[in-house]
Amino acid sequence: MRHEELRESVPVLTFPRQTLVSLLVFAVVWEALSHLAPYLGIPPFAIPSLVRIARSIATITPIDVVVTLARVIGALIVSFVLGLALAMAMYRSDSLNKYLHPMIRLLMAVPVVSWILFAVLWFPGVEFRIGFVLVVVCGPVFLVDTLDAMHGVPRELRHMMRSFRPTTLQYFFKLILPAIVPTIFTSWKVNISLAIRVVTIAELVGAVTGIGHQLSVAQELFSVADVFAWTLVLVALLFLLEAVVARAEARILRWRT
Amino acid sequence: MAHMSGPPPIEVRGLRKVFRQTTTGQAVVAIDRLDLAIAPREVVAIVGQTGCGKSTFFDLMIGLEAPSEGAIHIGDKSPYADFDHFRGSIATVFQQDRLLPWRSALDNARLPLELIGLPEEEQRERALMWLNRLGLGQFTNAYPHELSGGMRQRVAIARAFAVGPDILLADEAFGHLDEVTAAELRDTFLKLARECGSTAILITHQLEEAIGVGDRIIVFGKSARLLADIHVREWDKNRYALLREAIQSTLQNNLADPRLASVP
Repeated sequence: MRHEELRESVPVLTFPRQTLVSLLVFAVVWEALSHLAPYLGIPPFAIPSLVRIARSIATITPIDVVVTLARVIGALIVSFVLGLALAMAMYRSDSLNKYLHPMIRLLMAVPVVSWILFAVLWFPGVEFRIGFVLVVVCGPVFLVDTLDAMHGVPRELRHMMRSFRPTTLQYFFKLILPAIVPTIFTSWKVNISLAIRVVTIAELVGAVTGIGHQLSVAQELFSVADVFAWTLVLVALLFLLEAVVARAEARILRWRT
Repeated sequence: MAHMSGPPPIEVRGLRKVFRQTTTGQAVVAIDRLDLAIAPREVVAIVGQTGCGKSTFFDLMIGLEAPSEGAIHIGDKSPYADFDHFRGSIATVFQQDRLLPWRSALDNARLPLELIGLPEEEQRERALMWLNRLGLGQFTNAYPHELSGGMRQRVAIARAFAVGPDILLADEAFGHLDEVTAAELRDTFLKLARECGSTAILITHQLEEAIGVGDRIIVFGKSARLLADIHVREWDKNRYALLREAIQSTLQNNLADPRLASVP
């Protein structure tokens, strides 16, 4: 059977030749520039050699990576649960939807920097500040995406389901929730990228651990190599989290292929 | 689940359904003072032109819409006001299969059984039994997109029968299939409905289908008023061509053809 074959096929992380070539070209150009910098009037620390960057990578402190990762995952889970719960309530109650929708749009229009300043002024605890900023930025994205998807469940399926007289909970858990799973995955992918960027900025202010803090230290030391190394770690984290979500997506949404 | 004593009778009295158009606010009468009674285990075909209110009647029968005036009673209960009372006793087959794409054929067929809270093992056994009866024993784990249109509709029929309903409603359930598949599925549907002792109401716009399946044909005029109520078994099979002509003329003129009154 075709479907049985498809169930086994989950995507593996591929690394196409073109990607490898473009990365190699970038590395060669960077290395060449680092050697040519003094002749071009660029300060030597501005473009460190790859060896210097490799040395910085070797000094990466895993605890900072783990702390940032934990902050991102924790905040994403809280944002998702809150966003989904509120979306379910707004889907169920039209008047709640009408009252809350403008407020959600307003929250989404506030710049991240403003949220960070509010967090610093409102809350004394560093962890709470970072969590607050992440949740207030990512939560509304989960909410809006899932609510739109709930409203987009085909009328024919809603009609069919209602004809079998489900309870409210059955209606949600057997129709609405499974129907919006593809959107939930898309929303997670968007929010992972958003959270990685936001957590770095949030950690720059007041945190004494995490990648954002280490980037701040590197900036104070004028160490471009360290900035480069920590940035690489951030990018790798983003790719890793995206790969985990993509794998879960392929497994759970195998019915789509 | 079906009553041990058999399905209850259906009585429609003075049924009227008026919709208000969203854009103009104008009232549209979809069903106008409809009276009819359907006996337990009867197989009834409702025939009418497009836009005559057949589907509105279907929604009212399921209980998804409230009558504007009048009432539908199944036994002594209303499918709208006593909505939950009919969980597991009314089942539907739609024009499109309306299967949940993320569920396998087996999981689609057992959906109504989950809703009535049967133990999981029993759900599987019953759904599997119905899929086997509909010739889908080899495809229980297939997803809807892996099945043909006819196979998907079979799953939808299995889903409707699995719950053992008192009343089966089919809205143009075979109209979108090719003639051979449609005829085959229609026969299976009727055979199973009669075996199960369910009351079956089939809504269709195809005269051949209506004459072929129903113990009784109810002809809807515009807007869903009763133009004719024909007990097919009282007609000699040799005169089906005349019956067909008379129904056609009734539909065209929106007026009962006198030939329908004189059963040969």
